[in-house]
Amino acid sequence: MISVLSTNITSPLGFTTEQNYRAVLSGSSALKRHEGLWGLPEPFAASLFSEELRAALAIDGHTFFESIAIRSIREALTHTRLDVASERVVLIVSTTKGNVEWLDTPHYYPSEAAQAIAQAIGLTTKPIVVCNACVSGLSAQLLADRLLSEGIYDYAIVVGAEVQSKFIVSGFQSLKAVSEEPCRPFDIERNGLNPGEAAATIVFAKTSDRESWQLLDGTTCNDAYHNVSPSPQGDGLTKAIDAVMTGRDKSRLATVCVHGTATLYNDQMESRAIERAGLSDVPLSALKGYYGHTMGAAGVLETILTMQATDDGIVLPTKGFTEPGISGKVSISSKPKKTDKHTFLKVMSGFGGCNVAALYKKGAGSKEQGARKGAGSEEQGARGIVKLEKTHTVRLSSKDEKTLTDIYKQEIGDYPKFYKMDFLSRLAFVAAETLSNSPLKGEDSLPLREGWGGSLILFNHSSSIIADRQFLSTISDKDNCFPSPSLFVYTLPNITAGEIAIRHHLKGETTFYILPDKDETLMQQILEATLRATGTTSAICGWVDAESETNYECELSMYNHT
Amino acid sequence: MEQLINELKLQIKEALNLEELTMEEFDENAPLFGEDGIGLDSIDVLEIIVLLEKQYGIRLNNPAEGKAIFQSVNTIAQYVQANRKK
Repeated sequence: MISVLSTNITSPLGFTTEQNYRAVLSGSSALKRHEGLWGLPEPFAASLFSEELRAALAIDGHTFFESIAIRSIREALTHTRLDVASERVVLIVSTTKGNVEWLDTPHYYPSEAAQAIAQAIGLTTKPIVVCNACVSGLSAQLLADRLLSEGIYDYAIVVGAEVQSKFIVSGFQSLKAVSEEPCRPFDIERNGLNPGEAAATIVFAKTSDRESWQLLDGTTCNDAYHNVSPSPQGDGLTKAIDAVMTGRDKSRLATVCVHGTATLYNDQMESRAIERAGLSDVPLSALKGYYGHTMGAAGVLETILTMQATDDGIVLPTKGFTEPGISGKVSISSKPKKTDKHTFLKVMSGFGGCNVAALYKKGAGSKEQGARKGAGSEEQGARGIVKLEKTHTVRLSSKDEKTLTDIYKQEIGDYPKFYKMDFLSRLAFVAAETLSNSPLKGEDSLPLREGWGGSLILFNHSSSIIADRQFLSTISDKDNCFPSPSLFVYTLPNITAGEIAIRHHLKGETTFYILPDKDETLMQQILEATLRATGTTSAICGWVDAESETNYECELSMYNHT
Repeated sequence: MEQLINELKLQIKEALNLEELTMEEFDENAPLFGEDGIGLDSIDVLEIIVLLEKQYGIRLNNPAEGKAIFQSVNTIAQYVQANRKK
């Protein structure tokens, strides 16, 4: 449990949390239809910074992505007396594509961008980037909770940021997921998401006081179903919500702030998960009608807005919603609702099959909501008790004689999907296969365990650079612009974890981190904190980095409950 | 028609990286989805939509209308023959 010291939202609707909240309350939205922008043949609606706002926010010597992150953090810090230069403060950056517009320059690497942001703010510790598709903003907060609870740091600055570009928008268009009109979450007429730009910051402290918002708990579960389509019945999301809410009083929830991207599949799946988790009577709010899908920023931004609204005694209305178009029983409205409750749930789901549920409460010390009654579900109930040991390690690198395809053909051979994966996924897949096969050959160890206790924690430096280059090549020729949907999917590095989760039915936490270098100590800290905080009984963890097809390195280890 | 079917098979095999499916095994009447058929998924369909636009100038924006078209290579070939612009 950690508490919120201060927040900021920097978006087309305002440069502070208060400005943004007032704008949303008055029904404002920055969503606009754009035609011909960036040379894209198809129109789309998006929430973008105008030229004037861009000029006002840009910082010399920084990319626009870095600039909005820096502006957001700086404003949030003005409300605190935090000594940012202290070695007790860590920066966690949540983004899906960061500086992707700077591909093939040093700015491209997400950890370089994070270091540029950290330096501008005056931080002295190594920043951590969370790159977990749409759930990144919640994954980043869960990491903050773990690092602070473990005593590794005392303060965490969590910033989520996303800048839109031809790269991202054409990719989502190739998936037929973008609407030309302002999006309509949960509505019968919904026909896709709107990309959005924003930065949002939460400064967390380890200490708790009775006045502030607390992040009480959070769980990540993987569908292990498909990398793009969510589990139709919302299996992973239902499980994540159950893990957080078991033993807690659901009637105390002011709202569930849902993901509500307004794609057909997401909203339908979410409605099923909400119903299955027994939350049909809790008012929902979906905020994409105000900001679009701000991707890496969304989990942070939507959490902050919900805190602000709950403080104000309000459940925010779902802009764009008029008539329900989902089969799960939910309470959702286009009108604001009053509430006198002080607890809410934030949920998100993303590509790579990951789902996160996080629980927040105003003020500390309430036993009913703070501590759960009884244990959680059987598998997840083992939190903090299970001791995992590293049982095996597999190393692959471009220096090896055998290529990945050689290894696949000679030692695996039964999974043709291998050939559809991008290089990074193939690398992680082959390593994970080798790992999961080896214990069976050993005498004294256990195989990888399937199910809700199986987790994947992966790290790298080069993000998804190979897939990014490949996808870019499908859109860079103006007269021959055919964005490839299958390549676009792999421009999210956490898809590697999704592939392994599907193959081995691992339904626990899957998270992808990007670091400046292969820092074994930091990786170990994150890993141990994760294993202790979750109900993991079996995990594959480690480094999976591919700068190019001739320059790669992978070192994955299996952790098992021995 | 037979030539178009073979052309489509090659293009689909390449675009979808169906490495282990030989041209002999690739039956133009086999269902594209499901375990009894070629076993394609929703992303594969989107990739075929890109292929149709790139190679034949056919724009298909709503994947739902593709249900009848994407039953087999044969049904795709019929659709392409009737609607191709290049």
